[in-house]
Amino acid sequence: MIRLLQAVLGGLLTGGVYALIGAGLSLIFGVLRVINFAQGELVMLGMYLAWLLFTFLHLDPFLSLVVVMPVLWMLGWVLEAVLLDRMHGALPQNQILLTMGLGLVLSNGAMLAFTSDYRLVSTTYSSSSFMLAGVALSQPLAVSFLLTATIATALWFFLARTDTGMAIRATAQDRDAAQLMGIDVRRVSRLAFGIGAALAGAAGALVAPTYYIFPQVGGSFTLKAFVVVVLGGLGSVVGAMLGGLIIGITESLSATYISTELKDVCVYSLFLIVLLAKPGGLLGKAE
Amino acid sequence: MKRAVVAASIAAGVLLVALLPVFVKSDYPLGVMIGVLLAVSLGAAWNIIGGFAGQYSLGHSAYFGVGAYTIVVLLGRGIAPWWGALLGSILASAVALLIGSICLRLRGAYFVLASIAVAEILRLLALWAKSLTNGAEGILVGEFPPFTIFGHFVTDFTGKPPFFYMALGLAVFCVATNGVIKRTKLGYYLQAIREDQDAAWSLGIPLALYKNAALLISAALAAQAGALTATYVAFMDPNAMLGLDVSVRAVLVCILGGLGTVWGPVAGAIVFALLDEALLRYLTQSHLFGLGMLLILAILFLPDGLAGLAARLRVKARAKARA
Repeated sequence: MIRLLQAVLGGLLTGGVYALIGAGLSLIFGVLRVINFAQGELVMLGMYLAWLLFTFLHLDPFLSLVVVMPVLWMLGWVLEAVLLDRMHGALPQNQILLTMGLGLVLSNGAMLAFTSDYRLVSTTYSSSSFMLAGVALSQPLAVSFLLTATIATALWFFLARTDTGMAIRATAQDRDAAQLMGIDVRRVSRLAFGIGAALAGAAGALVAPTYYIFPQVGGSFTLKAFVVVVLGGLGSVVGAMLGGLIIGITESLSATYISTELKDVCVYSLFLIVLLAKPGGLLGKAE
Repeated sequence: MKRAVVAASIAAGVLLVALLPVFVKSDYPLGVMIGVLLAVSLGAAWNIIGGFAGQYSLGHSAYFGVGAYTIVVLLGRGIAPWWGALLGSILASAVALLIGSICLRLRGAYFVLASIAVAEILRLLALWAKSLTNGAEGILVGEFPPFTIFGHFVTDFTGKPPFFYMALGLAVFCVATNGVIKRTKLGYYLQAIREDQDAAWSLGIPLALYKNAALLISAALAAQAGALTATYVAFMDPNAMLGLDVSVRAVLVCILGGLGTVWGPVAGAIVFALLDEALLRYLTQSHLFGLGMLLILAILFLPDGLAGLAARLRVKARAKARA
């Protein structure tokens, strides 16, 4: 029983990070109708940025969020303006390939800049844990889960309660109608991509104390993020949050009861099953 | 008349390439040529499902890897490579049928994501099944037995020329398959599916049957490319043979050359393989940086590839001649 509880709670904590990455991907898809294959690479950039700040300025990785998020937001804004803005209305396959090329450039650019050595952000609390109801939980993951929840709440408030948030949701719902209502949809696209990138960067900084940092780390995050997003329904930010938690728990349960090496096989199998049984996602409607 | 000229010039071109090992004795240029020919094979294989049918599979590493692992694992158990290659294609086709019957029901981005997930599952299983694949440590490919026909010695597969001829044969076969498909009912149906699935369906084209047929042929050819690549490189591990890079390479060759054209993958493979060779030299392990850049530039400025560029130039030249 304790073993099950341990697996579920541990999975929930990692799931929070997947939820954050997935929410960014979903937001980008909702507004731009582009599946961003470079999402994991943006997470990787967030990790490296946190590592740089920690190594050279001794800034705590959780505090580094205040630098990482704005920097990634600006990067996202520029990438949208330079690359994706030209691709509006192009074949979805070509958009996928474009972002895939961007991912290759980012990961291999990181390899040129930082070499392929594994980096660590070894804080004093990196491997410390605490007990909760007889279950040992990793302290950095618990802190990152709390911060994730805070960011998610702020995102929800922004999207639901502010004018800009409403403009983003309107653009996601119907781009042409939003434009006719006087919304600058190109600016909204830039904003959405920027927020998506900032969320990915935040996830990167949050996992920096507990993950190895290397240029190719993004690939697995990208794949996980797709699974998360399809599970929750493409374009649904709340769905992505739910999907993230489900994937985190699936991963941790299969690592506990099947095999650590096969946990991702279980995640992708679950993905295929959902894709076939309920292609609109768990919360979405079928297309 | 015109067709005869085209056929004759193609035959002359192939013959010219085939004579290369007679004049080029050093290993490096032959190695580069083998790289080009293997890229042609993989690209042309992908072109059938991705180019003609418009189903962007990003999971072709699955078929490539199945072909590679079948031949090498069987070779390690003392079974001759030609049987391994044949069985590799049969197995890859079986995998394609399984994947196709499930994933080809999905459309657009969903199909792309599902195809990646399937290839990723195979890669992780290959890493896990250490008794069969030796896991992440990989397998050193054993020596080929000498090839004889009715007891007459043909070749013992040492040095580059035998692999050059096999790669040339495979590349010609793959491109010819593209040419045949383009001119037959299968090709027309696939192109109709690419342009508009619903319209194709309403005209009575059985979508599932033709999409699966295209995937099957594509997978069988990709498996051959995998088998030949693995035996030529003589080393394989799950990441090199089943990684996403393989699938991206297949797509990139076709995008660069021109999707759904017979000669696109050939042109694309030449540009791709030569450039990759140069990038490997200057950027070593970060060589994919250049390929990512290439992909971005191709999508932004040459979305219909070199074939599209050639067609546009032809139209321009004709307009000029008329003026």
